[in-house]
Amino acid sequence: MVQELRMYLEFSRKAFQRSAAYRFDAWTRLFSNIIFLFMWGFIWYGLYAGKEEVGGITFEAMLSYIVISQMLQGIHGAGTPLWEIQERVRSGDIAMEMMRPYDYPTRTLFSDFGNILFHMLTAVLPLYIVLFWLIDLQTPTSLFQWGIFVLSALLGYLIRYSIELTFGLFTFWLIETGGVEDIFYFSISLFSGSVIPLWFFPGWLETVARFLPFQGIFFVPNAIFVGQIQGEAIVSALLIQVAWLVICFGLLRWVWSKASLKIVVQGG
Amino acid sequence: MWQTWVSSYRLYFQMVSASIRAQMQYRYAFFMNILGWAMSYAGTAVTMWVMLHSFESIEGWTLWELIFLFALAILSWGVCVLFFFHFRSLDQYIVNGTFDRFLVRPIHPFFHFMAMKFDIGAFGQLLFSVLALSIAFWKLELSWGFVKWAVLFGAVMGGALIQGGILVLISAMAFWTTRSERFYWVVMFPTKSMMNFPLTLYPRLLQWFFIFIVPFAFVNYLPALFLLEKSHPSYSPLWGTLSPFVGLIFFWFCFRIWMAGLNRYKSTGS
Repeated sequence: MVQELRMYLEFSRKAFQRSAAYRFDAWTRLFSNIIFLFMWGFIWYGLYAGKEEVGGITFEAMLSYIVISQMLQGIHGAGTPLWEIQERVRSGDIAMEMMRPYDYPTRTLFSDFGNILFHMLTAVLPLYIVLFWLIDLQTPTSLFQWGIFVLSALLGYLIRYSIELTFGLFTFWLIETGGVEDIFYFSISLFSGSVIPLWFFPGWLETVARFLPFQGIFFVPNAIFVGQIQGEAIVSALLIQVAWLVICFGLLRWVWSKASLKIVVQGG
Repeated sequence: MWQTWVSSYRLYFQMVSASIRAQMQYRYAFFMNILGWAMSYAGTAVTMWVMLHSFESIEGWTLWELIFLFALAILSWGVCVLFFFHFRSLDQYIVNGTFDRFLVRPIHPFFHFMAMKFDIGAFGQLLFSVLALSIAFWKLELSWGFVKWAVLFGAVMGGALIQGGILVLISAMAFWTTRSERFYWVVMFPTKSMMNFPLTLYPRLLQWFFIFIVPFAFVNYLPALFLLEKSHPSYSPLWGTLSPFVGLIFFWFCFRIWMAGLNRYKSTGS
């Protein structure tokens, strides 16, 4: 067990070093992240149009929500994207991974940790620390709130990883994956609350979103960060995240075990 | 002169029809692609609807006006994709050394590279934008005379040239830096997303940048002011009628830069 963990951590270390060799990629990714932050910041500024608060949410809280959401998205951006998983399946590279003495989903997760750590330390955190320092934004008021936020953000990433990899593995059964990709990207941009918090959704759509796993990816950590989820609600929000993580991770393992049996190598 | 034009014209259609036949070999993939593109734009429209549910309007633009603005951008983007989208991947040809083949044939390299692909995946953009524009047109109860239809046509042509020009500019980057695709995803894609919303949301300096330097404003914002008869204290709606001219000038300028890059190009060998 310990030895296995040590092996997977080695993947993280290697991924970290590889990221360091391709710094150009990290910085260009940061550039597009900044443009999107800028865009959503001004869109919400325009929506509020000078109003102090809308539906009990102050502009300051909303802006903080968007900034922290973009920060988390920037961090997620360093993980293995959906198209890369699809490409691995399509090109047959995944067969090579299966022949090796490790578990592919776990290996991906640990490599992502390495990539994310590098991207976070060298690009995302420095930028966002400066932003939080320059702009008057709302941050957690206690160490406890900070801790819960970090925990929730971590759970959010794990949920995303489970869902993204599961969607990627569908490529085993589908020749054309356009539709799957669109469902994934649409859900992750809308239902996760990445740009519009769930509380601004029309009533019925909010109910739909509350019954989906995507809320756990960005909405819950963001809302905890700006203090919209407080007190006992924190416990239930975290429990929902954990429950969805268990379900999504279980689904991932199940799909993976099916996929391993279904391997069809196209071409030679 | 006349004869070269006619023969280039014929050649272009021959190459385009070959490209279409090649893409139609995978018919199922082709239809799924189109549907996928149309759906992902519909997703953005749904996001706009959710956003305006609690807020009603943004910068004085109501939901259907905003959809109109967005769909207008996608319509000209669709036309642009047909002709120019593959320019973004010029870096692959340069890195692999396969770009040389465009230089040794008796036709203009720019023309040859452009005619190489006619991206019918763009029907997805066209499908979405025509549908969305029609619904917006009906919801906003518009009725247009000849002038407005002409301005719409001009905006689509101008918009395709402006965005095509930017793609040409991005591909020219490959001559100097051997990278281009990355610039598309990191710079043009996010910038294009910004333009789906009213220009005046953004700071004044940026508005001027998108009017006078990289004329994105002529793709949708300025023409939409004219077409929807909206007014803004700083910009006269008449500016929107200038789209085709701005498009021509900007495209010519980008083309010159591409040619300058081409003169600088040295093959990587193989």
